[in-house]
Order: sequence, then structure tokens, then C-alpha cells
Amino acid sequence: MRSQAAKFVAAARRALADPPLQDAVKRATDTAARKRDLAMFAHGRDHGEALRQQAAAARRRALSRLPELLEQAEAHLTANGATVLWAADAAEVCAHVLDIAARHHVRRVTKSKSMVSEEVGLNDALAEAGIEVLETDLGEYIIQLAGEPPSHIVTPVIHKSKEAIRDLFVQRLGMPPTDDAPTMARFARGHLRAAFLSSDMGISGGNFIIAETGTLCLVTNEGNGRMVTALPRVHVALVGIEKVVATLEEYVLLTQVLPRSATGQAMAVYTHMINGPRRAGEPDGPEALYVVLVDNGRSAIYGTSYAEVLGCIRCGACINACPIYEATGGHAYGWVYPGPIGAVLTPLLTDLKDASALPHASSLCGKCKEVCPVDIDLPRMLLDLRYDLVEAGHMPWLWDAGMRAWSTATRSPRLFHSAARAAQIGQGLLPQGRKVPLGPLGGWSASRELPRFARQSFRAWWAARNQEEDRHDQS
Amino acid sequence: MTSRETILARLRAARRPFADTPPPGDYLPVAPVDDERPAALVEHFAARAEALNCTVYRCTDERAALAAILDVIGADRQVLCWDFAHIPLPGLGAALARAGVAVAPPSDPSVRVGITGADAALAATGSLVIASGPGKPRQVSLLPLVHVAVVRADQIVPHLEAWLATVRARGLDAFQAASSTVIISGPSRTADIAMELILGMHGPGELHIVVLEDTSA
Repeated sequence: MRSQAAKFVAAARRALADPPLQDAVKRATDTAARKRDLAMFAHGRDHGEALRQQAAAARRRALSRLPELLEQAEAHLTANGATVLWAADAAEVCAHVLDIAARHHVRRVTKSKSMVSEEVGLNDALAEAGIEVLETDLGEYIIQLAGEPPSHIVTPVIHKSKEAIRDLFVQRLGMPPTDDAPTMARFARGHLRAAFLSSDMGISGGNFIIAETGTLCLVTNEGNGRMVTALPRVHVALVGIEKVVATLEEYVLLTQVLPRSATGQAMAVYTHMINGPRRAGEPDGPEALYVVLVDNGRSAIYGTSYAEVLGCIRCGACINACPIYEATGGHAYGWVYPGPIGAVLTPLLTDLKDASALPHASSLCGKCKEVCPVDIDLPRMLLDLRYDLVEAGHMPWLWDAGMRAWSTATRSPRLFHSAARAAQIGQGLLPQGRKVPLGPLGGWSASRELPRFARQSFRAWWAARNQEEDRHDQS
Repeated sequence: MTSRETILARLRAARRPFADTPPPGDYLPVAPVDDERPAALVEHFAARAEALNCTVYRCTDERAALAAILDVIGADRQVLCWDFAHIPLPGLGAALARAGVAVAPPSDPSVRVGITGADAALAATGSLVIASGPGKPRQVSLLPLVHVAVVRADQIVPHLEAWLATVRARGLDAFQAASSTVIISGPSRTADIAMELILGMHGPGELHIVVLEDTSA
């Protein structure tokens, strides 16, 4: 998927002028955030916090041994009968999948939700090769029909109202009009059931790979993940190289913390462990299982100060907690991952300059770190990315000029004092109200209120206060 | 160099992140259970499963269990079913035959009810652990709208961590021998349409769990 992150400001502005979008996003994220709190702290706040630290340590331990665990996972996956393929970038992921499709004479593909497949633009690649692809997660199915990208990593269609989905089903699928959501879902179930039964290849993502057993792990609610891994002849799983965990114990911990953080469920409906293709004597299951280990920019992050972002388990809690996401929705972020995790991942996995607006799309309120089940310090990385942007010269020239002026002024008390006086006097010339015509700086003031300077500066107040005290002492 | 070599070489050449992370200590269970005595586990399991919209039948004899299952089947003439050897109800085959209910091939998508056993159950989350294998098709718990699972009370363990302890005790080979192990917690669901909870999205919309309690205890 080509990143549109460079258009963040314009896209965010459009979203800010779309109250129905904001209502839908706010209602959904508020609900998810509330449920997350209840589930994470179901056994007390101390217990929940201890789980977060335990889960964070599990992810960090895995990252500290990433190359060894990947080799171990590969060996055990292979011993279990799976074929392991490695893909350096998006093109190689697509090439692998097309190769597999050709080898197994695949014409129809059903997919369960995979963010990696969105990263690499797999659906387009398959369609170009003349292979029919159908998304089967209800949310992904809806946005595929609408020709839109997902706007949330857990609930991809969070931005659409029930009425919008109804209209889409009526227009595109000929559904008899109804406002009843269960009826709409049943209608989609019928359509998709036929697709599952006639597809040759199922494509899934992967939430975890357990190195010690070579187990591919999926977490789903609808059952489409089970369908695409059980019914088609071939199953292909696309998994980021960072998703490996060392032991079953670490998996058992993380696979429970994930749904609690994502949707507030104690367990997802289907917590699925796959140990290879169908075995001798088994009545169903795929004849072949391929696991594609996807780098696509991850190994370049590994040795940097951003390595901790590789610990992310994609629960979306930071997205649900983010005031910026609540205001803009997910599409404004322009790539696969929205919200705070996207504001860090998109610049790192795509292009820093192109995504230069994203590290600034944060109030640095810190909520994203607070709710992260693996305690990733997203605010710290957002600040570091801002630093990198300055270092790389990706900030506007006026920003640089302003910062240089600030630097000069603050190094001299005399200059600082005169600048402060000038600001106090100068603000009287500005019109009242929040929109301030700052010329080229207007971009800053358009979304912020310019604070009024106090009538007396701190320096003047301090001097006056000391004089007052002197008088008291003398009396 | 292949991509495999390139990726691994790059990871190996990098400064190791989190090299100072301590080794794992004792894991705190994610969902601890206060009372782990057998009777309390059944109570806990039933309450959690019902909270997930499952219907739980606690049966102290085989007759009651068979009656509950036949009631769910209703007027249907066909069900999907595991091999009877994997369902802890010896009289099930005969009871279905007497009621004129045939077992359809597991891939028949038109059948409404699927009957399985379970490999274990988790009290803390009301979950069933179901492994695939000969005589245990995965489709039986997946394709039909209604899933009936039969579990013995002594298969209920406190939580996922306790289940893992049983996996370790049996050895990892036994775990890896099943190509698919799925932990099922309630009926299939979605909230993708305006966050409204809808059951039975792709998998079963009804989950009936028959718990066989030991009357001799």
C-alpha cells in the first residue's frame, strides 16, 4: 500500500470537518477503551499492571534473541510440515504468494485479516495476476466492497455507520433493505460461506509464532480465520519477523493480554494454534502450509533506539486511547497503521520525510504508553522522531530560523528581556479571538489558540517581589 | 545472498536490544481462579461460559445429557459429529440412531448441528480446548450454526496456564501431533457493524456445552 502520510494535515482537516465520522470513531474508541480497562484490571489494578510488565518482559526477551528464535521457529515449523519462506520487502512477499498460487493452480483466494498483507499491497498483486481475492473478516469485507483502506487495525470499518454499511450492501450485493445489523451480518455470512467453500487458497496473518514448537498462532472472533485455515487446499500465513516468541508460557501470557487490551475480552472467541498442515488420518485441514516471514523494514529498526516498537502485539489499545485519532479517524494517517503506533511505525517502515507530519500528530499526553499491554514508550519515540526530523533537515526553513532566533535570544538575558517586552507590547496589535494571522506560521495557529502573555513578565514580578521583601525586612 | 541470509545477517550485526531483560520468573496467571476444587471449577466454568452466551447443561447422568442433545437437534434428520469414541457419552451413537438422526460427512455445509467432545475446558474463561485429529474434524465445530460440545467435569482445569502445565506433563510431541488446537470461548461473534454485538458471524452462533458431572464423588 502506497503511503499517503504526506497528506496528513489536509486529510486531518477534512476529518475535522466531518462530525458524523468523529461521532462514529469516538463512540467506538470510548467503548473499546472502557472495556479494555475493565478486562485488564479485572483482578485489581496491581495485578493488571504486573501483567503489563510481565508481557513487556516477554516481548523484550524475545527481541533480544530475535535471530536465534527465528532460526529455531523455522526449524520447528519445517519439522511440523510447513514450508518457511523469507521475504525482504513487499515485492518479495507478493512474488512468494504468486509462486505458491501458481504451483497449486489457485484461482480463488479467501483471506482473513492481515495487516502485513495491507503493507505489501497483496490484494492488488493477486488481482493483477487474475486471481480472485475476497476479504472475509466482516469489517475488511465491507471496506473491500467500498474500495477503502482499513481505518483501525482491530476494527477496520470503525469509521462507517450502520446506515452506510446498509447502503453499500444494498447497492453492491443487492441485499433487501434492512436496518437490522444481525440481518445484515447474516446476509454477508451467506455470501462469504459460499466463497470459503469454493476457494483454493486461504491467506491469514499471524499473531505469534512459538519458536520452541514451531506453532503459528491466530486470534480471531468471527471464525473466518478458522475457515481460511481449514477449508482451502493451501494455507499461506504472512507473519512479520518480530512476531516470534520463545516459549508456550510466553505465548499463553501474550495471547490473553492481547484480547483484553484490544476488545476487553478475556479470551478471543478463537485462540488458534496451528502445528502444520493436515496430518495423515486427519479428515480436514489444508494439504500445504506456507509461512512467509516478512521483514519489509523491520530489520532496519532492530538495532536502533526504536527497537521497542517491534514488541507491539497490534492490540490497538493506543489507538483507542488517542485524542488525535479520535478527532481525525484512521484514514488521515495515510498508511496501514493509524494512531500513535502508526505515527511511529509509518515513518520508520516507509519514509521519514514523507511521514514527517505524523510524529507531530500527538499531544504527548502519554495515554498510549499507559494503556500499552507491553509498555512501549510511544511518546518517547514520537519525540525522538521529531528530533530525527530536525537533524535530517526535514523541518520547514521557518521552523529552523525560529529555533535559531530562540537559541540566540535565550543565551543572552538582555536579548531575552527585550524579546519578551516586545511580545507583550506586540500582542496588543493582534486581533482578539483565536485565529491569528501569523503569515507563514498560520499553519501552527490554525489548530491552536495563541495564549495571551501575562501583563507582567516573570522577571518583572520577581524583581518587584524582591523589592517588596527588602522593604519588609528593613521595616 | 538469499533474503533469509540477508535478514538474519542484518539482525545479527545490529546492537542487541533489551540484552539486559531478566530471565522469566514465575508467571502470574492472567485470570486467576480463587477456588480450584473440582466442584468450584464446574461452577466457575458454567458461569463464565454462560456470560459468553453459551448454554450450559450440567448433567449427572448420561440420560439427561442425551436428552439435552436430542432437544437441541430437534426435528433435524442429520448432524455433523466426531467419531463417537472421542465423545465421552457411550450411548450417543445408539441414541441418535433411535431418534432417526444420521451423521453427515463433516464437510456438508447444510447441516445445522455439530457435536464434538473436547480435550480440556478452562474455568477462568469458560473456554473449550479442541484439538484436531483422526476422527475429530475441525469443521464439526466450525461449519454448523449450532455447536454442541460434551465435556467431563474432570476435564475442567482452572485456566490456560494450568492447561499448559498438562501439555508440558504429556510432552510437546503430543501437542505438536495435532495440526490444529483451538481454544473456543463462546459463539462466533463480530462487532464490526457500528460496534453492535452479533453472534454467529462465520462460525456457530449457538454453543451448547454439556458438562458430565461425576455422581459417584
